[in-house]
Amino acid sequence: MSFRHLDRFAQVRSPVTRVPAAGRVFGTVVLALATATLPAGAWVQLGLLAAVSLALLAIAHVPLRVALARLAWPLGLVLLASLALLVVMPGEPLARLGPVAVTAQGADRFAMVMGRAMVALLPAVLLVSTTSFPELLQGLRELRVPVAVATALGLAYRLLYLTVDELERLQRAARSRHAGGGVTRRRHLITAIAAATLGRAFVRAERTHAAMLARGFRGTLPLLHAPVWTYRAVLNVAAVSILVLAVAASARLP
Amino acid sequence: MTALVQARDVTYHYPDGTPALDTVAFTVAAGERVALLGPTGAGKSTLLQSLNGLLRPSAGAVLVGGVAVNDETVTAVRRRVGLVFQNPDDQLFLPSLLEDVAFGPLNAGASRAEAATRSHAVLEALGLAAAHDRAAHHLSGGERRLAALATVLVSQPDLLVLDEPSGDLDARSRRRLRDILAERREALLVATHDLEFVRGLCSRALVLVAGKLAWDGALDVLLADRAMMERFGLVA
Amino acid sequence: MAHIPDGFLSMPVIAGTATASLAALATAARRSRAALGEREGPVLGAVTAFVFAAQMLNFPLGIGASAHLLGGALVAVLLGPWAGMLVLFAVLLVQALLFQDGGIAALGANTLNVAVLGVGSAGVTYRIGRAGLGETRGATVVAAGLAAWISTAIVGLAVAAELVLSGLVPLQPALLLVGGGHVLIGIAEAVLTGLLVDFVFRTRPALLARRTPAARGDRIRVVALAGAVVATVLVAVGFASSQPDVLETALARLASPVGSGLTAAPLAEYQSPVGGLWVAGAVGVLAAFLVAWGLTIAVQRRRP
Ligand SMILES: Nc1ncnc2c1ncn2[C@@H]1O[C@H](COP(=O)(O)OP(=O)(O)OP(=O)(O)O)[C@@H](O)[C@H]1O
Ligand SMILES: [Mg+2]
Repeated sequence: MSFRHLDRFAQVRSPVTRVPAAGRVFGTVVLALATATLPAGAWVQLGLLAAVSLALLAIAHVPLRVALARLAWPLGLVLLASLALLVVMPGEPLARLGPVAVTAQGADRFAMVMGRAMVALLPAVLLVSTTSFPELLQGLRELRVPVAVATALGLAYRLLYLTVDELERLQRAARSRHAGGGVTRRRHLITAIAAATLGRAFVRAERTHAAMLARGFRGTLPLLHAPVWTYRAVLNVAAVSILVLAVAASARLP
Repeated sequence: MTALVQARDVTYHYPDGTPALDTVAFTVAAGERVALLGPTGAGKSTLLQSLNGLLRPSAGAVLVGGVAVNDETVTAVRRRVGLVFQNPDDQLFLPSLLEDVAFGPLNAGASRAEAATRSHAVLEALGLAAAHDRAAHHLSGGERRLAALATVLVSQPDLLVLDEPSGDLDARSRRRLRDILAERREALLVATHDLEFVRGLCSRALVLVAGKLAWDGALDVLLADRAMMERFGLVA
Repeated sequence: MAHIPDGFLSMPVIAGTATASLAALATAARRSRAALGEREGPVLGAVTAFVFAAQMLNFPLGIGASAHLLGGALVAVLLGPWAGMLVLFAVLLVQALLFQDGGIAALGANTLNVAVLGVGSAGVTYRIGRAGLGETRGATVVAAGLAAWISTAIVGLAVAAELVLSGLVPLQPALLLVGGGHVLIGIAEAVLTGLLVDFVFRTRPALLARRTPAARGDRIRVVALAGAVVATVLVAVGFASSQPDVLETALARLASPVGSGLTAAPLAEYQSPVGGLWVAGAVGVLAAFLVAWGLTIAVQRRRP
């Protein structure tokens, strides 16, 4: 995973991008929450929520192939994390894979976790495929993320590029001076590089702060863009949210 | 007529004890264009930062429009004295160029619509209109310089203070920046090592050597005096 | 798996952890502002960028393994626990929303584990360590390394507790796999944090200078609370290991001959855990949570 992903995704205008970023973040959270909290065995509801997410991906013109490619990496992580479920669950053994036994209860949990994880990842893929980092930031601020966090992220975006540039420069310089070397040597080198980057990050913070003060900064980043909530966007977000919540609620009906 | 900016025996030591400025005194009048010269480490950047209250003199005072710079007046002072930093990366800290340019006006209480209009106008004037929604790391070095200038011009200061504006620019971008500055009506104070850049742009020169003001007079006279230039460390 | 993905946690755990995280972040925002003033934005921004960048660096550990910095203890040492929490929350937020690293619904839990408990416990440990060991270079490095190790272990315990409380896995395997895993990861984190803090101490000591001499009464309270946490953790660990059949069963299962059919004797014994034990374990870990929580509040009180 590279930070350069922050800028990688081309945006295509669609009914989804016409919803302000705050609405997209809100919708993503609602979908992810609804999916992640489905009770065990609610396969029908899981299928319905997957359908909602896939429909939104289609409306946003995200090609299925792209969506699947973006899904692969995080899903791989989930798979790794949940494999253990197959064997640590006590219960009736279903099959033996070499020395360990897969239990029926374990397989059940595993299927449920993987299903929920996969479907909950879909709205997240939708969000990154439709929203640039600056937009996301704007959305988060409208959703009242703590001011300090929003300010930190707002500045971190630029600083990240500068910090990584510095890191790569230091690494190149170090490599050109010491080719090879043992593990201890390499460890010391990387520590030195990381610490130097840290020092420079603080220097940069000071200078950025001076530049901000010079332009009248008083502790909070002002917001330039007012959110453009159209009547239609509100209706769309509300409709999707109500649909999703209804599906989620139906899974808990007795 | 009161001077736009007046430095009264400004002395400055960095918190770690490094002496940077020693009883520097001069004035700049409205509309005047002044070059600030001096070898590296002479204190140019330090002096520029003390002009808008980012650094407070250890002794002496800075007056802007006849008003001493202190905690009460500093906000107003910063609106009148616009500082462009030596490194544009320090000055472009927001995710998009437009936000960076609008930062000053918004802090000064402009409405969003007004800030956006003014920012677009400044970017347009500097030829950066097409880049308004880009992040600074997607701009070229020359564009970044101009962008840093835009963030200051938008607040319509009376004095433009530029620190090393032509550093790392190619000939064409340097030319373009110089032409833009030549058309401005604000007073200018340009710290630089690039003598060609200020020749013809500025009429007056201040020379700092080891924190002391060594020369205050016509730029042409200075540039014509090879021996003096060498003594100040301005030519090799 | 310090970052829990979606699908693993139950509704009550999601709701509970989110509420706790919100409360903690609100306090952190206030405290961090009080400590850093108007420098807060740029300092937090720079450190957030640094944590992202540092997570891209691979430190060789020898024997072919490498690790990357998690950063919780480092930010606690550099910025203090409150500002540090905000930094790690910012990192988690971006990781969840843009990198799908950690679930969106699980963000509250991940925040509680990594940002609140992880950074908070590191801050407390570091503070106690420096109070006890002194302010020399060696003491500082040891305190920071210790803080990194303990806080990583606490993150692991918290993750394990949440998985158990979600009814996903029984207590013992959760403690063994997740908790134990983090105790090991914590060693690498301790080494990395120690090396970095050592380097910073030698080259930019000003970044580490925390001029908050502890008042005597405060110190006693902090030490008492820390003792309570250590005791709770010890009891939890003791409780887990006092069930020798856990390890035995695991070993027996691993060792049982391949293809011995679908009925393996050890598995029969491993039938669903007794309700009483289960509940006791959950209560124990919850208590550890509460004590750690109390600790952070106590430390918060000390700073006016
Ligand atoms: N933050 C700081 N802390 C301590 N000393 C500093 C700091 N910044 C600058 N100095 C010192 O103050 C003196 C003046 O520095 P200043 O940056 O003002 O020089 P300058 O004329 O702008 O140089 P250059 O042409 O290289 O930009 C130098 O000796 C420098 O080392
Ligand atoms: Mg300079």
